[in-house]
Amino acid sequence: MKTPHRSAGPDDLHVLTGSYALDALAGPEREAFERHLQHCASCDAEVRGLREAAARLAMARAVEPPDRMRQRVLAATYRTRQLPPALDERLSRRASIVRLVHPAGRRTAPARHPHLPRAIAAAVGAAAAAAIAFGVVSQVTAPLRPPAAISSVLGARDAQTETMRTAGGGTVTVTVSWDQREAVVTTAGLSSLPSARVYQLWVMSPAGISPVQARSAGLLRSGPVLASAIRPGDRIGITVEPAGGTAQPTTKPVVTMTLPV
Amino acid sequence: MRQLPPDPGAAEDTGRDPDLASLLARVACGDHQAFEQVYSELAGPVYGVVRQVLRDPAQSEEIAQEVLLEIWRTASRFDPGRGSAAAWSLTIAHRRAVDRVRSENAGSRRELKAAPDLSGVDEDVVEVVAARLDQQRVRRCLGSLTDLQRESIKLAYYGGYSYPEVAQLLGVALGTVKTRIRDGMIRMRDCLGVDW
Repeated sequence: MKTPHRSAGPDDLHVLTGSYALDALAGPEREAFERHLQHCASCDAEVRGLREAAARLAMARAVEPPDRMRQRVLAATYRTRQLPPALDERLSRRASIVRLVHPAGRRTAPARHPHLPRAIAAAVGAAAAAAIAFGVVSQVTAPLRPPAAISSVLGARDAQTETMRTAGGGTVTVTVSWDQREAVVTTAGLSSLPSARVYQLWVMSPAGISPVQARSAGLLRSGPVLASAIRPGDRIGITVEPAGGTAQPTTKPVVTMTLPV
Repeated sequence: MRQLPPDPGAAEDTGRDPDLASLLARVACGDHQAFEQVYSELAGPVYGVVRQVLRDPAQSEEIAQEVLLEIWRTASRFDPGRGSAAAWSLTIAHRRAVDRVRSENAGSRRELKAAPDLSGVDEDVVEVVAARLDQQRVRRCLGSLTDLQRESIKLAYYGGYSYPEVAQLLGVALGTVKTRIRDGMIRMRDCLGVDW
């Protein structure tokens, strides 16, 4: 600590790869090192390797986060716009064509990056070729966005979420907004069904009222399903039905849940 | 300098990560289902490392949520040619936690009289079962370092201290800490068999 403010030459900076990879450089020194990294390929390569090692230090300390975090983060993704890919100057003209067609348009060419998933690269390439061939310039495959109603429920101030295990494995998660009298239902890890069967979602009358009245809220495929005009005390239920769904449930529900109030 | 051979089990990891990389490519296209899988893979390590640095459970939860949403938001910027998806994500997580610590300490200098306990997070947390293998490897490799290398790395990474703070905590010169951190991390990299 005799001369802490001595101006650092390139050799001194190279020693900082380890500290940088561990985020142990504070403010100005971090910025100076990041500038240095742009011109020092060997430092950059070393930093990348050390970061992989640092990631193992992190993985060794993995702990289960609180359950509520999952639904909060997943709900937030429905109201968070994603960054477009950063475009390489050199590739930007070609890439912009791809991007119009498919938001997947990644800036990297597969040849440069063997790790780029080939299927995606191929799909983007094929889509670009098709677009050029047929003069299509609009988005052919826009990212799946939920209807506005779904994001509105997930983002509602009074939104309440509850998750429950189903009899056959997997979970069902319900987010309710009583202001909007709507609920969004998502499932994860339900056991897979033969192709002639589907999961169907029902809004059911309160427990204890007989006969049970059920109206269909739709088929559960991969995305969230919206149940409208719900009333306090209502339950949701999921049954296995013939492909295409039915007007009334024909099997015992794999799960029922009273909507959280 | 004697070097440990790369961990024979380390090769399994490379089979796990390409999967995460292709999931991130799908997330970049707005695929919510792919993101759920990314969440399942990364929420434990992200929350774990943030909590290791910050300690406070509520604050850790808040930062971990921000980090996971950041992964959703910036998935298109992940470049599989420059590192693994796990390292990309955990770099975001660790840096975010450290930045939080530094911004809180900006006004009042952190007490640097005694080194903190870095043995692990409190008893009430549930470790992720899949992390046990990582734990064993990391422990074994940390064990192959010199005491000064090991302590410097643990204080910097798990404690979130800057290297000048580490130097002060350990009572050694700045230059010594810089080189020990680098040498130690190079040995960790080689011992863990990471390949980038």
